[in-house]
Amino acid sequence: MEQADNNGTEAVGHAAYAPQATLRQGLLDEIKLLRRFSNRGLWALSLFLVVSTLAWRDFWFLPSPASVVASLGAPPTPMMISLVLVLYTFSAIILSLSRMMSGLRHKSSFCHVGYLGGFYLFYYLAEALTDNYWAVFGAGFTILCLESYRIWTFCSENITRKLEQLAFLERNGRLPPEEPDLSE
Amino acid sequence: MFDKIAGRALVPVGIVVTGFLVVCFVLLYAAIKQVVIRDSIGHANNLAGIVLKSTRYAMMKSDGELNGAIIRNISEQNGVQHVRIFNKKGVVAFSSKPEEVNRQVDKKAEGCVVCHEKAAPVTTLGNMQKARTFKNAAGEEVLAITAPIYNEPECANAACHFHPAEQKVLGTLDIGLSQEATLGSLAAIRMEMVIFSILTLFLTIAGVITLLKMIVLVPMQKLQEYTEKSARNSHASRPTNLPYELDKIAESYYFIRTKLNETEESSFKTVDDAPVCQNK
Repeated sequence: MEQADNNGTEAVGHAAYAPQATLRQGLLDEIKLLRRFSNRGLWALSLFLVVSTLAWRDFWFLPSPASVVASLGAPPTPMMISLVLVLYTFSAIILSLSRMMSGLRHKSSFCHVGYLGGFYLFYYLAEALTDNYWAVFGAGFTILCLESYRIWTFCSENITRKLEQLAFLERNGRLPPEEPDLSE
Repeated sequence: MFDKIAGRALVPVGIVVTGFLVVCFVLLYAAIKQVVIRDSIGHANNLAGIVLKSTRYAMMKSDGELNGAIIRNISEQNGVQHVRIFNKKGVVAFSSKPEEVNRQVDKKAEGCVVCHEKAAPVTTLGNMQKARTFKNAAGEEVLAITAPIYNEPECANAACHFHPAEQKVLGTLDIGLSQEATLGSLAAIRMEMVIFSILTLFLTIAGVITLLKMIVLVPMQKLQEYTEKSARNSHASRPTNLPYELDKIAESYYFIRTKLNETEESSFKTVDDAPVCQNK
């Protein structure tokens, strides 16, 4: 009889601890995800450096600009590409700063590597890569550094909050009440 | 560094201003360089035209001595590296360097290949296509123009010698100009732009630091000192005038602190005034 009572108490205890364990595991998983996500900007920056190295070596594996131009037609003029590059850099910086301000979780770093690779290609086809290489490199480095910084600050703030929630959960057995949004 | 407000605010500003300035600087320099080089090619083309016009009369008269004298005089001009005239077969007919005369030039050589790339040579070229740049034996950058000498009715009908009327190009003029002055100007522009960019960068960052410190950091430090002082003393004093919203925060803190002190004092008073329990 006593044994049966003990078993019953244990079952109630497990039931009480089960949601706490699930919440704890959930928080730990989220912290792990955030830690992984915080490196995303640096990975994008590394990929951009690889693309820049290929551009520095004048895309030796690609067909010559003359043959591409012969089949596809004339590329835009270097002046036009430069104008678009300035517009793109300005917009990307403003967008990144706005995301930083509103604390959005946005993973846009890798698409910037694609856009910048496109600029390298257009300059290569217009035979103006030598003169404009450092402009694309500077734009890419700036945008991706800013994006890395944004992602890193976002992740470190969230990790701190999750660790606080974890400590609260372990002290009180429940999650802390949601903080009201003071900005509203 | 990143734990403080100053670090968090200055890092993005520094990255954005520096990066955007570098991008604009490189693009602006590339555009200026393109304009300067296009202008110098234009001037070189004009000079080639002048040389052709100057030698035209001597060619019509088939006066080799006069042609040679004109070529020599032009090549003595400051900045002119070489002047050559090739005949249709690619043999140097006149040159500023006498040792080059009667020497055959390879049609695949730089400057010739532009027209002779295909089986049928190109007879008309744009201004930019006529130009090529290379480094001479002394390591100087040279801008060379290869201008075709076209057959004209006077040439085909001249009495001295005969060129068939269907022959479009009689020969080419090759003139090389030193790029030293152009490159010197570009280097000066580059240096001025670098100095201007560095000054702008310093001014922007110094401005942001000053404003941040004046508007945010110093008042925040005052607020921090006020709250720490109030936490140490049980009787909080009224906050001294802090700027902007920080004054309201300090006032609220003072109000809460005063209320807390009053509550504490009244609770102590209640305990002191309470009757002593008889039934212990």
